[in-house]
Amino acid sequence: MIDFSRVQKELQECSRDMESSGIKVTPVSDNLVNLSGTIPGPIGTPYEGGIFKIDITLPDGYPFEPPKMHFVTKVWHPNVSSQSGAICLDILKDQWSPALTLKTALLSVQALLSAPEPDDPQDAVVAQQYLREYQTFVGTARYWTETFAKTSSLGVEEKVQKLVEMGFPEALVRSSLEAVGGDENLALEKLCSG
Amino acid sequence: MENTKDDDNTNNNSTPNLTKLEGEEEKGNAQHEAEEDFHEEFQCCVCLELLYKPVVLACGHVSCFWCVFKAMNFWHESCCPVCRHSYNHFPSICQLLHFLLMKLYPVIYKRRERQVGEEEKKVGNFSPQLDHQLYGSNLSDGLDILKNPLCSPSCQQTMYPESHHSGEGKSSSCMNVLETTVDCGDDTTFRYATISETLENTGNAPVQEFSLLGNELEHKTPNQVSVDDLPCAECKRMLFQPVVLNCGHVLCESCVVVPEDGDLRCPVCQSVHSHGLPRVCLILEHFLEEQFPQLYAEKREAFLKQTNCSTKQTHQRPGRSLSLPKSVYTSCLLRNGPKVHVGVGCDFCGMYPIIGERYNCKDCVEKIGFDLCEACYKNPAKIPGRFNQQHKPEHRFEIAQPQSIWMDGEYSDSDTEENFVGVSSAPILSGDAPQDLGDDTNGDLDDISHAHNQEDDFDDLSSDLPF
Repeated sequence: MIDFSRVQKELQECSRDMESSGIKVTPVSDNLVNLSGTIPGPIGTPYEGGIFKIDITLPDGYPFEPPKMHFVTKVWHPNVSSQSGAICLDILKDQWSPALTLKTALLSVQALLSAPEPDDPQDAVVAQQYLREYQTFVGTARYWTETFAKTSSLGVEEKVQKLVEMGFPEALVRSSLEAVGGDENLALEKLCSG
Repeated sequence: MENTKDDDNTNNNSTPNLTKLEGEEEKGNAQHEAEEDFHEEFQCCVCLELLYKPVVLACGHVSCFWCVFKAMNFWHESCCPVCRHSYNHFPSICQLLHFLLMKLYPVIYKRRERQVGEEEKKVGNFSPQLDHQLYGSNLSDGLDILKNPLCSPSCQQTMYPESHHSGEGKSSSCMNVLETTVDCGDDTTFRYATISETLENTGNAPVQEFSLLGNELEHKTPNQVSVDDLPCAECKRMLFQPVVLNCGHVLCESCVVVPEDGDLRCPVCQSVHSHGLPRVCLILEHFLEEQFPQLYAEKREAFLKQTNCSTKQTHQRPGRSLSLPKSVYTSCLLRNGPKVHVGVGCDFCGMYPIIGERYNCKDCVEKIGFDLCEACYKNPAKIPGRFNQQHKPEHRFEIAQPQSIWMDGEYSDSDTEENFVGVSSAPILSGDAPQDLGDDTNGDLDDISHAHNQEDDFDDLSSDLPF
């Protein structure tokens, strides 16, 4: 049984200091089981300037079991799967403690972005690159940030218009944009894939 | 405040006059709750609510009774949620802190009591009713508080079954508070506080009924705490650098004497505290410092002088040793060590899981069962069960075998569930759980670090957590 009153409290607490932490958690559904979090890319890293969206699912035993988290935004990072967004972080697994919260867990994920652990990788390809060709790694990570984690300067309406002009129906464009968190590239990908 | 609505609805049945009164009271209550913004340090780190029936771990960190219990590891030693300090005994509720919180925040504490009481009823397991005998001389007014309906849910239900439903019920329960408290004579600080609290909430009419105590009441603010509320169980003076033992008794750190050989015993109840000297409970210490800055500073000065004279007495204290090596838990998987009774705790000393022989009470009917470890079976304490079991000294025991956590069919499934101190409604050792335990142990033993398929492992892992 999820302790919903605690989840409520966490959400309140989180929205209270959103300004300072930059970390946002919002419920996706009414039942508070599925939530969505965003973290800003840490300054001084290839992820700087990006806003990364993380999908959160609370297991039945929360807070005595860790929340399930994975990146929705594509990230190039040794401890994050470049395919699925799965995160390799001990506190989301066996090192979870019920005194941790969604906010502190997201802060840890943010810290993971600044301090990759290539020796304990989630994505072997990225980890190899990180260890052998660090400059290439930085370049790729920055490119991915630019491509996937930056909300483009265009407003929502402009994005919709742009995609509609490409010949997609407006309703579908809007729902696709919403599904991918407003990223027009991802929306286009989604629209093209069907 | 979920109950507000219910109360209002039920009020429609009572006289209009009372309804109005009750409505006002509810408003007052709500207001009070808002005003009663509790100190951040008294927030439970697990449920993020005000601590309820607080349990202090050997590292000095505090959580609610159920929060600690649910966070414990059912087959391995447990770790403090805050600092990961490992422990293997479920400590008893710290009654001093319990009554202190009840006094500081009567409204929120009452709400918490209701809330937890409802949950307990739903689950079918109960936290201990706090009994003054348990507490011994540590809190002289514990006795009075017990008679107060604020104290325990079951007491409230049996004595004043109507109190939730009507204004009349409320005022009659107030009367009863008055009667019981007048009966018992000594330290009255707390109950006045409670009564005045109730009075403010119930409006003017009942106040006249209390006119007997009126004068004294006016001089007591509800949240006033005196030095008498924070005595050391040993020296009886105000606590200084408080430590909380496994039995829940609070002492000054300097009052705890650790024998050179053998276990530390509580000077009040003689129960063993097997984790070496506990760390100072900082939450309590900060509270003392804040509440009685001058007195506490004086104590500190006196203490420093004393320690300077009696050269480094404090440094000779034995380290914070663990009573059990970690290998004990894994050895049970390999079946070459002492028995480990997965998911079963000792109801006296709190050892969880029980290691060694396990004695199961044949006569206790509670779902959660009643079990003792070997040491406690041989030296029975006069403590009631940790989950309010009605265990009697004449009950018979039988030696129970540990549950195999391998699926080898040695023990039947139904047996397994019964023997688990199962608080969760979900079956604990069903399905693939035992297999997962095996996986986990392998991880422990071989120190395999995270693999790529961990996502999958993790799904399984989470399913074998019992609570």
